[in-house]
Amino acid sequence: MLEIKDLHVAVGGKEILKGLSLSVNAGEVHAIMGPNGSGKSTLSYVLAGRAGYDVTDGSITYNGEDLNALAPEARAAKGVFLAMQYPVEIPGVTTMTFLKTALNAQRRARGESDLDALNVLKRVREKAATLKVSEEMLRRALNVGFSGGEKKRLEILQMALFEPKLAILDETDSGLDIDALKLVAEGVNAVRSPERAMLVITHYQRLLNYIVPDRVHVLSAGRIIREGGKELAHELEAKGYEQIVKDAA
Amino acid sequence: MNAALSRLDARRAEAAEQFRTLGVPHRRVEAWKYSDLRVVADAGAVSNAGAARWTIEHCSDDVEFIDLSSGTLPDWVRTHLGALKSDSVMGSASLAFAQSGFALRVPRGKSGEVRVNFASVGQARVLIVLEDGASLSYVEAVPSGLEGLQNIGMEVRVGENAHFTHARTALASVKAVQIADIVATVARSGSYRLYSGAFGAELSRLELKLSLDGEGAEAHLAGVGVLADGTHSDVTTHIVHASGNTRSTQLFKNVAGGKSRVIYQGKITVAKGANGSDSRQTAKALLLGQRAETDLKPELEIFADDVKCAHGAAVGDLDVDSLFYLRARGIPEHEARNLLIRAFLEEAVSEIANDDIRAALWKAVEDALPRAMGSHP
Repeated sequence: MLEIKDLHVAVGGKEILKGLSLSVNAGEVHAIMGPNGSGKSTLSYVLAGRAGYDVTDGSITYNGEDLNALAPEARAAKGVFLAMQYPVEIPGVTTMTFLKTALNAQRRARGESDLDALNVLKRVREKAATLKVSEEMLRRALNVGFSGGEKKRLEILQMALFEPKLAILDETDSGLDIDALKLVAEGVNAVRSPERAMLVITHYQRLLNYIVPDRVHVLSAGRIIREGGKELAHELEAKGYEQIVKDAA
Repeated sequence: MNAALSRLDARRAEAAEQFRTLGVPHRRVEAWKYSDLRVVADAGAVSNAGAARWTIEHCSDDVEFIDLSSGTLPDWVRTHLGALKSDSVMGSASLAFAQSGFALRVPRGKSGEVRVNFASVGQARVLIVLEDGASLSYVEAVPSGLEGLQNIGMEVRVGENAHFTHARTALASVKAVQIADIVATVARSGSYRLYSGAFGAELSRLELKLSLDGEGAEAHLAGVGVLADGTHSDVTTHIVHASGNTRSTQLFKNVAGGKSRVIYQGKITVAKGANGSDSRQTAKALLLGQRAETDLKPELEIFADDVKCAHGAAVGDLDVDSLFYLRARGIPEHEARNLLIRAFLEEAVSEIANDDIRAALWKAVEDALPRAMGSHP
């Protein structure tokens, strides 16, 4: 589904990713772990198509297509979803209006018909219940006054609602207490399926106790320096990044 | 000739004299620094502007209506017309030269609604009197596509416990000079609410001087401006907290596209002894056009001790994080920008409690946004 080859990405003229290669198949969950500044967020942003993240070399192929040639909205319509580390607050747009606008924009781009408000509401309510997203939250302006946990739950709700093919979770565990973390992990596990691939980006092994990955990649200084199964996450937790980086050198 | 009429004649003569002495305001006059009226109109253009045509689209039965050009004026009109002191030259011009206009009075304890359309350029004078305990919703529209000078001078007297709601929508006219000059007084526990939609002209100016003259009087002003290439809009307010425990709030949100210029000047004066007064003003501008300009100038003048005054101004472009967030969720760039601009304006529009007025303003905003966003020539 996703094939990244020798990817070099510069931000503001500074190279952050320096030859990253990664292959993810449908149905798989891959974890990307790495210390601060290793390029984790850059990877998530370049996959989602954020302006200012320039691919200087290499390629990103998504279902046979050059992902980098697509605008962010086109990627979303084709099933790429990024759960952001810092979801933005948008005063003046209610959460429900935003969800409806986004869902229908994606549908329109795929040549599907718009869903009416009632239909959208029904779908949202289904997902909202399991993620403990209240009706009151849905009526509030998008993310405005939401706690850290509420924002992350709303990101996962969107993932469930949009039914992406490739979901990227950027530090979804950051700022969550253990109860919130479990709730979010359950939400993520609920959407795991043979058709869907996931890229779980995290600093800590903690989240991976609840979302068990098929593969773990260690990112350091813009490159993947080690790969392995889920046990690699435990090794990282035990040894620390510094040791793993030394071992790989 | 009775005394009231001769007093009115005297006030008109005085206004004409003020206009002759000071002439058309220009950029070296501090209050007109950002709006050089003299570049687009000379003294002759003002004094010979002719009568503005207006139509009353609706007037409730309880509201007394007087056409100022029709024969003898009743005593209350002669007493009040031109009686509120103003140092505004354009206000003086409308008093001195306008051959058209009307007066409205809402009797004690009554309420009503008036909708008026100022359909042509020229000058007009409007007098509105709300007796104690009265309320009036006054909805004023200026259509698009006017050419020439429109100068509307308005005085408003809001009595004790009386409530005045003033909604003004001035649609875009790139070849017009659009002036509205308002002077108002609000008595004890009365209120003045202004909702303005300014869509720009070659030069457009809404000037309001409002005095909170009685304990507990309130003024709440909210406005949006949506400007396309080649337009200008200036909202200048001066609120005087003349009495204690008076409140004023102001919230103006402007979107400027192309090469346009949007101005907000808001002066608050808290008079000596007007303790317990509370004033808040916020003006924000979103510059969409590379060559769009804004001047936001809040000003405070405080002579009392125990007051609360807060003001803020901010200029910016659309937030890049928000734009990316919406696009990453599948919302196309143009639609995402539109959503964010509407969200920016929403705060000011949502101040309007009346559903019809709010919906009408939204409609005007929707119509104006494509041009301001540059997707139409």
